[in-house]
Amino acid sequence: MTTLLEISGVSVSFDGFKAINNLSFQIGEPELRAIIGPNGAGKTTFMDIVTGKTKPDQGRVLWGDKGISLIGLSESRISREGIGRKFQKPTVFEAQSVRDNLAMALRNPRGPFDVLFYRKNAGGAARIEKVAEQIGLSDALERTAGELSHGQKQWLEIGMLLAQEPRLLLVDEPAAGMTPAERQKTTDILVEAARTRAVVVVEHDMDFVRRLDCKVTVLNEGSVLAEGSLDHVTQNPEVIDVYLGR
Amino acid sequence: MTRPSDATPTSKPRSFIANNPSVLWFLLALALFTLGVTALSEATGSGVISTSFVKTLGKTLCLCLIAIAMDVVWGYCGILSLGHFAFFGIGGYAIGMWLMYARTQAIVVENLSASVIPPTPAELSDAIASQIFGVVGASEFPAIWAFSHSLVLQLAMVVLIPGLLALVFGWLAFRSRVTGVYLSILTQAMTLALALYLFQNDSGLRGNNGLSGLQNIPGFEQVPQAQISMAFFWASAVALGLGYVMFAWVLRGKFGNVIRAIRDDEARVRFLGYHVESYKLFIFTLTAIVAGIAGALYYPQAGIINPGEVAPIASIYLAVWVAIGGRGRLYGAVIGAALVSLLSSWFTGGGAPAINLGFYTIQWTDWWLVLLGFSFVAVTLFFPGGIGSLFDKLVRRSS
Repeated sequence: MTTLLEISGVSVSFDGFKAINNLSFQIGEPELRAIIGPNGAGKTTFMDIVTGKTKPDQGRVLWGDKGISLIGLSESRISREGIGRKFQKPTVFEAQSVRDNLAMALRNPRGPFDVLFYRKNAGGAARIEKVAEQIGLSDALERTAGELSHGQKQWLEIGMLLAQEPRLLLVDEPAAGMTPAERQKTTDILVEAARTRAVVVVEHDMDFVRRLDCKVTVLNEGSVLAEGSLDHVTQNPEVIDVYLGR
Repeated sequence: MTRPSDATPTSKPRSFIANNPSVLWFLLALALFTLGVTALSEATGSGVISTSFVKTLGKTLCLCLIAIAMDVVWGYCGILSLGHFAFFGIGGYAIGMWLMYARTQAIVVENLSASVIPPTPAELSDAIASQIFGVVGASEFPAIWAFSHSLVLQLAMVVLIPGLLALVFGWLAFRSRVTGVYLSILTQAMTLALALYLFQNDSGLRGNNGLSGLQNIPGFEQVPQAQISMAFFWASAVALGLGYVMFAWVLRGKFGNVIRAIRDDEARVRFLGYHVESYKLFIFTLTAIVAGIAGALYYPQAGIINPGEVAPIASIYLAVWVAIGGRGRLYGAVIGAALVSLLSSWFTGGGAPAINLGFYTIQWTDWWLVLLGFSFVAVTLFFPGGIGSLFDKLVRRSS
């Protein structure tokens, strides 16, 4: 396992409030990692920094084998580098079909003229079918995304991430609002995806994290409080104090 | 067209027309309309339709063309530009400069031909300039008229100036991530600034006099207006047809999906790896160029262009047409522009009979704007799909 993403000494504050405070940790490739922490611990801000939405005040965010800095790159550029992000609220393009949603996400040149002269082809169609199978939406390809259930929208968004073929997937609360059966399936999709790439899951739900069965990073007040297996971190008295005890 | 294997129709690339049946229907309707008007016109047919009404219809086709451009930028891409009439006006001014120059030159040359000593080029130029700019107290050509002697160069201006202005304006605005109502205000400011500049006498474009006599096409002085108006009517119809096909082609497939996705959730598109600003800039510039071409065809039929044409209100009307016709459907924009602009000239031209309520008489010249305003509010509130959505319902019922 090699280091894919290295965050060191990153701090960012909004109006004097330190959302991230000297945060350092690394993600390997392939790896499945869960990030937990109480509200306001900086979980979403961490994702914002990695994906270019928020610029940190200080620190380094290094990416890939060559260790290029992600700070200052645009969101679209970072995405093309191989970082995919799933938002807390399912954000799919509701007016368009499931197929079109996946087609847009497919890894292909992204320039306006590349897209303007893009022709649908059998290879692309096959990739879409494969992703649809992974997320269990093979029968729903022609349906409008807005008609899908909440859980199916979440899967579609995960599917769009998979279609991008990223090296790192950042997934924000994928199980929120799902039924137990849907949660199980989501777990399977994420575990499967993490076989070949890095997957970082931010989640509140302890049962869900337990089922992921992976290394856990606990954030609190913008920095790492504990790191290790779930059993290890849940026995840490500080973690119990700030998070689990409440 | 026969396809060898139809086993997987959804994944197989199909022809552009097969995927966009509305394009074929639209072209058919446009062709029928054009032929119908041709058969009824004074120049080429029975004469039921007067030359001035042919001009009105030709102008309406130009308005339909800018309306589909507006629909693409607003209805598809979600940029509520309230400045597209600025590009329309620039197109009109660009062609108007050549029309005025060439016609004035012809008149001046004829007048001076009686004199014993032939005029020098400098004398000729001065004579033309004082003819054109006498009304604003100037007698020399401003720098922006440098290419006005050349039809080819002025035609290039029709495309280049709206395109470059849109490119620079759009780049500045989109790069700073100005969106929504703030962008609309910015585009209003752009068109207002242009109008105010043109109103000045020393703008070099004859201030509030504007450019006039544009219906007289140099070199075709002997051709009656009936025939000239037919030619422009046809040109406008062809431009509308080509514009419709081009936009339908641009919006087909994946590019159209990305554009619609930008309208619905711009941030998400960014995280998919698309450089949203480039896409917006492409659409903004392309529609500005089409607006310029529409203007260049419109004003020779109108005969006159003045700065009032690019006043902010014109661009707001444009948004109203597209909203009433139905956003996100190219034919909706055409229907909205044609219906509302024709109704507008009927009501404001005194065509509509006044309604006597006993205590008050409704004069439509005064009340038309109120009616239009109410229609706009009503469509937005109760009928967001506009008139174009009626077709969707028809298609759904028949299939």
